Amino acid sequence: MSEQIINVHTSAVPGVAATSGFPVRVAKTRTRTATGRRLRDNLGLAGVYVFLGIMTLFALFPIYFVIQASLADTQTLYSTTLALFPSKPTLGNYQYVLGQTAFLHWIGNSLYVCSLSTVIGLFSAIFGAYALSRFRFKGRQMTLVALLALQAFPGLLALTAYYLLLQQIHLINTLEGLALVYGAGSIVFSIWNIKGYFDTLPGELEEAAIVDGASTLKTFWQIMLPLALPAIAASALLNFIGGWSEYALANLIITSVDATNTNYTFPLGMFSLQNDFRTPWGYFAAASVLASIPLMALFLWLQRYFQSGLTIGSVKG
Amino acid sequence: MLRVRRYTIFLFLLPTTLLVLLINIWPLVYTFNLSFTNKSLFRYDDYSYIGLKNYTDVLGSLHSDFYRVILLTLLYVAVCVSLFLLIGLATALALNNKRIKGLAFWRLAIILPWTIPSVISALVWKFFFNYDFGVINQFIRIFAGPKGGIEWLNGSGFTAFFAVVIVNIWLSYPFFTVIILGALQSVPAELTEAAEVDGATSVQRFMNVTLPLLRPAITPATILSAITTFQMFNTVYLITLGGPIDNPGHPGATTFVMIYMYKQVIGQGVTNTPYGYIAAVAVVIFVILFLMTLASLRASNVVSEVRR
Repeated sequence: MSEQIINVHTSAVPGVAATSGFPVRVAKTRTRTATGRRLRDNLGLAGVYVFLGIMTLFALFPIYFVIQASLADTQTLYSTTLALFPSKPTLGNYQYVLGQTAFLHWIGNSLYVCSLSTVIGLFSAIFGAYALSRFRFKGRQMTLVALLALQAFPGLLALTAYYLLLQQIHLINTLEGLALVYGAGSIVFSIWNIKGYFDTLPGELEEAAIVDGASTLKTFWQIMLPLALPAIAASALLNFIGGWSEYALANLIITSVDATNTNYTFPLGMFSLQNDFRTPWGYFAAASVLASIPLMALFLWLQRYFQSGLTIGSVKG
Repeated sequence: MLRVRRYTIFLFLLPTTLLVLLINIWPLVYTFNLSFTNKSLFRYDDYSYIGLKNYTDVLGSLHSDFYRVILLTLLYVAVCVSLFLLIGLATALALNNKRIKGLAFWRLAIILPWTIPSVISALVWKFFFNYDFGVINQFIRIFAGPKGGIEWLNGSGFTAFFAVVIVNIWLSYPFFTVIILGALQSVPAELTEAAEVDGATSVQRFMNVTLPLLRPAITPATILSAITTFQMFNTVYLITLGGPIDNPGHPGATTFVMIYMYKQVIGQGVTNTPYGYIAAVAVVIFVILFLMTLASLRASNVVSEVRR
């Protein structure tokens, strides 16, 4: 009510309004609260920037530290005082890691194990995922529930069983055996993720192909599979990364066969490199940088692809 | 839905079924069976069925190592997950602020730790916590003088526990930032604006309008993260090996469930690996994980998807 009156006042006689007491007072308080709010907002904004700055420092400092440590000489690293810049930058650590350790073997072994386990897991997952999405058969629902239960069972819990299984089929202390165990971990997730993606593809696609005389297998292989590529790629990447950092099962299944541990996977090798305090830490840092950069680049490159393949497939509603 | 002949369905299911039977179901069934036996390294072939003896060993006494380990793990899960949530929420709200410039940079900076192989992160942090040469003690010495520093990993259980909490936060909160930011961006601006017009303060707007709308995204992420933290092995084991251990032969301050089980196999001082006992521990952990998974499914409505 009073607001209306003020409005009438100010709009009716804009020039004179300032001289009459009432509207002026309103105008004054309004500007005062406006500056107050602006100040508070700016303080708030500064606070947000400080907070983001601290979080960024927390996130990036370890990364920065490892990069500079990889360039530092040994004396600098084994000092009890803080040094954030290498005084005499050197590539010696990289030369040592590439030349004197089995680093490239570890990377190669891990690439092999992760690729093999991804192929094993995905190849068997895609057919099952398609069948579970498109066909209706007895026990379908039970299968889906059983797969969920299996997903709650991490491979590490069955370590005795895996050890025995690999012994029976003569794959103990082999990279193939390790890949088989990793495949077990990836297959269940892949089935669910890819099945969820197939669910979102319209059924008319296959119906049209089958009317044209294509077989079910041909329809699946040539039409549906290429369409599900985002979900397959996302599953592949997750499986791959899962195996890339796995230590516990690898430590049980793989035993070193020589002095430089050429048959180790990457996590085993990195642990052996760091756990041994006779080995300078700069070597470990250089190896970390070498191993992280390709993965970081891959992740950033695949990020968008990766998100759509995951969100559409598995996280619905 | 496609109408196909029965053998086509059979052929499609065959590769999946065979592999799942071999590498998923058989190990599970074997472990379950093993948990009723007294098989050990010394009784590798001449073991016998001993009923529920292993389970009473694991669960029978409230003073057993196992309960201690479970409680310690649950404490770790509670501390970690609530900090993930808090920090994830704070960073997401900060990034969602329309007046913040350079969003792409901050976002990238905050999720970058995610892209590093966790084995490297763990070992780097282990070096950071090193008493003599670690960055954290070097930093403390700037203020406390050359004799300063904390024996993080080999001193008290509390500091080692604190250390693995910090590392897990570094590794995991970006997941919450991404999830919550996504949910925040889907909250219609009209709703908060309407609340503002009605005179709600920013705290009221957040508690009564924004937060309830975030719940569908936060709840499954929280449960999922509780599950992964509960079964966390790699990171903690690589940093502390489950230690420090005050009481030899018993679990240490960071011996969480998976580490406890693992150390029964390869731990120092284990001469006669008790396979039956280990299997019983595994079955109990499986039951806990299964219940947590069910809760997460209920929260994210996947169960209704199965029924479709």
